[in-house]
Amino acid sequence: MIDTSTQPTGQATEAIDPSGTSRRRRGRRAKFTEEVPRHLRAHLTAYLMITPMVVLLGIFVVWPLVYAFYLSFFEMSFYKDAEFVGFDFYKYVLTDPEFYESLLVGLKLALMVVPTILVLALLLASFLATLSKRMAAFMKTTVYVPAVVSSVVAAIIFVFIYQDEGFANWFIGLFGQGPLAWLNTASTALPAVAVPAIWLGFGVSTLIMLAGILDIPESYFESARLDGANFWQRTRYITIPSLRNVILFLLVSGLTLTIQEFQLPLVMTNGGPVNATNTPNLYIFNSFRDATPYATSYSLTAALLLFIVIGTISLVIFRVVSSEKSSDA
Amino acid sequence: MNRTWYAPRRLLSYLLVAGIAVTALFPLAWMAISGFKGQNEVLRTPFQFFPDVWRLDNYRLILEDPPFVRAMVITFVGAVIFTVASLVVNSMAAYAFARLEFAGKRWWWLVCITPMFVPAMAILLTSFVVVSKLGMLDTLAVLIIPGVASSAQMFFLRQFYLNMPAAVEEAALIDGATRWQIFLQIFVPQSLGPFVVVGIASFLGYWNSYVWPVLVISNPDLTQIMQYLATFRSARGNEWGMLMAGSTLAALPTILLVLIFQRYIVNGVRLAGIK
Repeated sequence: MIDTSTQPTGQATEAIDPSGTSRRRRGRRAKFTEEVPRHLRAHLTAYLMITPMVVLLGIFVVWPLVYAFYLSFFEMSFYKDAEFVGFDFYKYVLTDPEFYESLLVGLKLALMVVPTILVLALLLASFLATLSKRMAAFMKTTVYVPAVVSSVVAAIIFVFIYQDEGFANWFIGLFGQGPLAWLNTASTALPAVAVPAIWLGFGVSTLIMLAGILDIPESYFESARLDGANFWQRTRYITIPSLRNVILFLLVSGLTLTIQEFQLPLVMTNGGPVNATNTPNLYIFNSFRDATPYATSYSLTAALLLFIVIGTISLVIFRVVSSEKSSDA
Repeated sequence: MNRTWYAPRRLLSYLLVAGIAVTALFPLAWMAISGFKGQNEVLRTPFQFFPDVWRLDNYRLILEDPPFVRAMVITFVGAVIFTVASLVVNSMAAYAFARLEFAGKRWWWLVCITPMFVPAMAILLTSFVVVSKLGMLDTLAVLIIPGVASSAQMFFLRQFYLNMPAAVEEAALIDGATRWQIFLQIFVPQSLGPFVVVGIASFLGYWNSYVWPVLVISNPDLTQIMQYLATFRSARGNEWGMLMAGSTLAALPTILLVLIFQRYIVNGVRLAGIK
């Protein structure tokens, strides 16, 4: 029963947004079929319009990036001229256990934060979709508010929540658990950093999922309900399959963003205790501040290696998302 | 059976709404309320949510603290300039890439979009070298200019411009309007929604930034608000109530922004077209 109702997914998604799609389609067609007359081509105007963008990105992104790659091939020193060392620093980084340790910390953090956010966002969005307009508007704003709080303020709040006399210990005390030194114990420090990360991140994911859910034709849910499907069955057979792309996007972008998280641990724990919260970027950032030139070259190289991995992943997401878009337009 | 099932269901959904709202806002509420507590009340056993006596002292004291007020004002001024500059730079480029044909467009597009995939950390150190070579350290400019051009925002605005109907633009061209006039008089006025979305993103990005100011600003006159808060403890000692009051006031502009523009933000998620 339920299975039959999920089948028409493909067709119906096309059917529901004729207005949006056709408008877009008309725009595209006009743009492509219209032969731009030579005198209307606007080279000069176009160049003037993109110049500020190109110049700024050139100076503040492209130049630093090229310069970073260039420097990663040199060993800098206070006492002598920079010396060309080829791929030595890349070798150091790739054979350094501390670098891998930090990657593991980043990965663990991401595995705590991202699945939690996804489940939370899915449940919240499913719930929000059932609310009346006014209620939904109130809730959308409410879940979005934490997303605009800065990491520094969130870190300050949660440092207090985790103090001996703080809310977290009072809360577990209700269940008869003893006070914990949350941020000073290796096993609890990373989960303790994950909580504010979840708090800061769940709102945006919820709104994105909600937009996706509102695009699923109501008739699917209606017929599933008539067939007696309960909430879990509707979620399992209708919501999740229909949101496949949204979930994929949130999953991958969430992972890449969370692995790069470092402001929360920077303010809350500064990587401790015993590196338990030393995420890759925090490790790199602290080596930057380490004044020895060797550490600088080293961390520069580590940052570039991380960039290559993360940049590749985000490029892939971008491709997937935009190809999705062009296929439905 | 349905009817008996629906009435408690509505009650349940109100309870859920209240529960979610309280949980989501709890950390902020705790912070704001702790600002009203006395010196030793913020951290005290047993844990207590509300103060014994509501005092305004912390809020008054922090507002009388010149470094705090200066940090708030200078960060606000910077954020406004930053937001306006971002909108100008990114929307112009977005219009050009969406609606104009010009030689080398594909190549320039690559130049402008690739930075989206460069994480800040990869270029943090060399950006610092670049701005210090340009003599920009310890100026308002170093806080504003490097982040103004944003590939992601440009991309977002371009998507919006791609979907605008071509008819009006063609009519205006036939009437002899220049591309600048079309951009300024037709496209910009219709971009309010997307402008609000990217404008808020810019404002938040600037207001909440911490790492970049720490690197490039050492002049106390230019200290940014997040810098001020992060160093509060070393500067002021254990005045937790004041720290909470200061953090609350520092979070306030961003929260107000959300409340004022809530309609646009929710639509922005759809505009982004991630679905």
